Amino acid sequence: MTATQAIRTVAQGEHPPLQRSAEERRSRTRQRRTFWLLAAPAILGLFGSFVAPLLYMVRMAFNRGSSDGVIEETFTLDTFARAVEDPYYWKVTLDTFLMGLTVAVLCVIVAYPIALFLMRSQSRFKSVLIALAIAPLLTSAVVRTYGWMVILGGGGLINGTLIDLGLITIPLQLANNFTGVIIGLTEIFMPYAILAMMSGFGKLDPRLEEAAGSLGANRIRTFLKVTLPLSLPGALAAGLLVFVLAISTFVTPRLLGGGAVRVLATEIYDQATGLINWPFAAALSILLLLLFGAMIAGYQALVRKLGIDR
Amino acid sequence: MTAVKLTLDRLTKQYRAGLAPAVDRLDMEVEEGHLVALLGPSGCGKTTTLRMVAGLMDPTAGRIVVDGRDITATPVHERGMGMVFQSYALFPHMDVAANVAFGLQMRRVAKSKQTELVRNALDMVKLGHLASRHPKELSGGQQQRVALARALVVEPTLLLLDEPLSNLDAKLRETMRTEIRSIQRRTGATTLFVTHDQDEALDMADRIAVMNGGLIEQFGTPADIYERPRTRFVADFIGRANLFEASVAAASGTGSKGETVYRIDVPGIGTSEAIGEAGLEGSQRTVLVRPHRVQVELGAQPGGLTGTIENVSYTGDALGYSIRLGDVLLQVERHTADGTIPARGEQATVRWAAEDAYVLPEEVRAP
Ligand SMILES: Nc1ncnc2c1ncn2[C@@H]1O[C@H](COP(=O)(O)OP(=O)(O)O)[C@@H](O)[C@H]1O
Ligand SMILES: [Mg+2]
Repeated sequence: MTATQAIRTVAQGEHPPLQRSAEERRSRTRQRRTFWLLAAPAILGLFGSFVAPLLYMVRMAFNRGSSDGVIEETFTLDTFARAVEDPYYWKVTLDTFLMGLTVAVLCVIVAYPIALFLMRSQSRFKSVLIALAIAPLLTSAVVRTYGWMVILGGGGLINGTLIDLGLITIPLQLANNFTGVIIGLTEIFMPYAILAMMSGFGKLDPRLEEAAGSLGANRIRTFLKVTLPLSLPGALAAGLLVFVLAISTFVTPRLLGGGAVRVLATEIYDQATGLINWPFAAALSILLLLLFGAMIAGYQALVRKLGIDR
Repeated sequence: MTAVKLTLDRLTKQYRAGLAPAVDRLDMEVEEGHLVALLGPSGCGKTTTLRMVAGLMDPTAGRIVVDGRDITATPVHERGMGMVFQSYALFPHMDVAANVAFGLQMRRVAKSKQTELVRNALDMVKLGHLASRHPKELSGGQQQRVALARALVVEPTLLLLDEPLSNLDAKLRETMRTEIRSIQRRTGATTLFVTHDQDEALDMADRIAVMNGGLIEQFGTPADIYERPRTRFVADFIGRANLFEASVAAASGTGSKGETVYRIDVPGIGTSEAIGEAGLEGSQRTVLVRPHRVQVELGAQPGGLTGTIENVSYTGDALGYSIRLGDVLLQVERHTADGTIPARGEQATVRWAAEDAYVLPEEVRAP
């Protein structure tokens, strides 16, 4: 190639890149349009079914309600003032939180070995075992709650057996209180905990446990030093999930609690449907949302503190 | 460190009844301080063997003996062996120093002593400056060296390495070969090294065990394996090889290392000479000639085997020919400086010194 040819080639070469970038820009615009078009139904659906009702609820909380069901359109903080000033609602909030926490902790403790076992299993029946572990999801929580009422009730399976065996004379108070609700919720949410943990145990490479063994760690120390720290993120995530599910559930506290268990969910239900005080129900709902938020923030702080998000 | 001797005695692993054993009655002796390479194609049972030695898997039958002591039933954490996994298996939730200190911690070594030993181990693998990094923040080669330091810091009696270099790029692989070898020499640890890369095995090992289908085909020095393969599989697996069948005729003398020199008759091509074990006269055997041991002249010349050049490949340093001799396509390799580059279709004559052709002791397997 001669020098002039080379120069000409370079000069010619200046235009095509410009054209190409314009072409590129157009294609990127097209891509963006495709994205929004494809996402539109989901976004609309989400807006219609979640964002809009949520906004409506927030607005509702600033109205004034009364026990005769009349809602006065206004802008007041009355509902919040009532929720904050009445110690009863502090207690309900605290009970809700404690119930969620207890159920989450129990669920994690019970589901952890099961999830670990299912993860590890080399069995041919592994998929069958996993299906069995989550099979309770096939039955609705309402039905399972009734099941627990039969088992835990005063003349129920457990008390009946214990009385027949002569171990007790007066039935244990297992239902119509927090004990019953916690037992029921723990069982009901266990499949979720198992599933969440199994997907959260991703980092748990069996090679790491073998490496620990080859370095002289026995089973217990391998568990404490390697298995546990690496499975903690999965266990925490499962705990958070169960907590969120537990504090927002209504059926089990209402039925197994027998009216004696007052948590935010049952309170909201009573205000909204019994007393038709929608503004106050909305304010309590916002309280519940704040509890969610606080828990998620706490979870993230914990994860960061433990340095397990790496 | 006092080096140990490892003996495998009819070691067998059958994963499931009805399945062919993954490792089949394996016998092997690893001398004190030796580095032995378990070499073989994927799926031949190398990892299975290593895992049984490490105690990560129970053998179906057979014994593992270290310095005369049967350790077959000893659990992994009491074997005191160092293991480097193919995936390195570094603890992701610990920094480099904590990873290396893990074994010392398990042995309840005093904290101050731990710090010193960890520093020494990291210096040995030239990673002292990265002690507080997490495994994720290291390159593959660095992770590999941390794994090595972690395994070596406890002064294991036996070092087990499962394809430790296979996840590294070619250039790093070469460097790490030398590095592992020199560290192994310095520590004197008896070492089992699993690899499917013959160059790695030839380069690093004191002894090579070539495995195939759960069996050891041959156990010997790299030179033995390369020069005197016992089976067609070994000859083919190690290095480039011309293998063809020939009738072994009468012995015609003795080679420089005491082997018998035979006249061989390659059907349809001609006769030549090769060396081999005694007592092969009159049998049908496979003959091995390495491509760079073949001499080649252009044109039909007397006293050699004449054929047609089918292909020529020029790689700068070397010139490769494929020469058609009847049914055999002979690969020949020459240095470029040796002469002009011939054209395809030309005639060429090949010959070899008797010592450069080897009659395999293995009987010809029915195809
Ligand atoms: N857990 C297992 N269950 C059944 N068969 C296995 C298992 N692990 C390995 N194998 C089989 O055993 C043979 C040897 O495997 P392996 O020792 O991993 O080979 P290599 O390390 O030489 O590639 C292979 O055929 C493999 O399919
Ligand atoms: Mg392997």
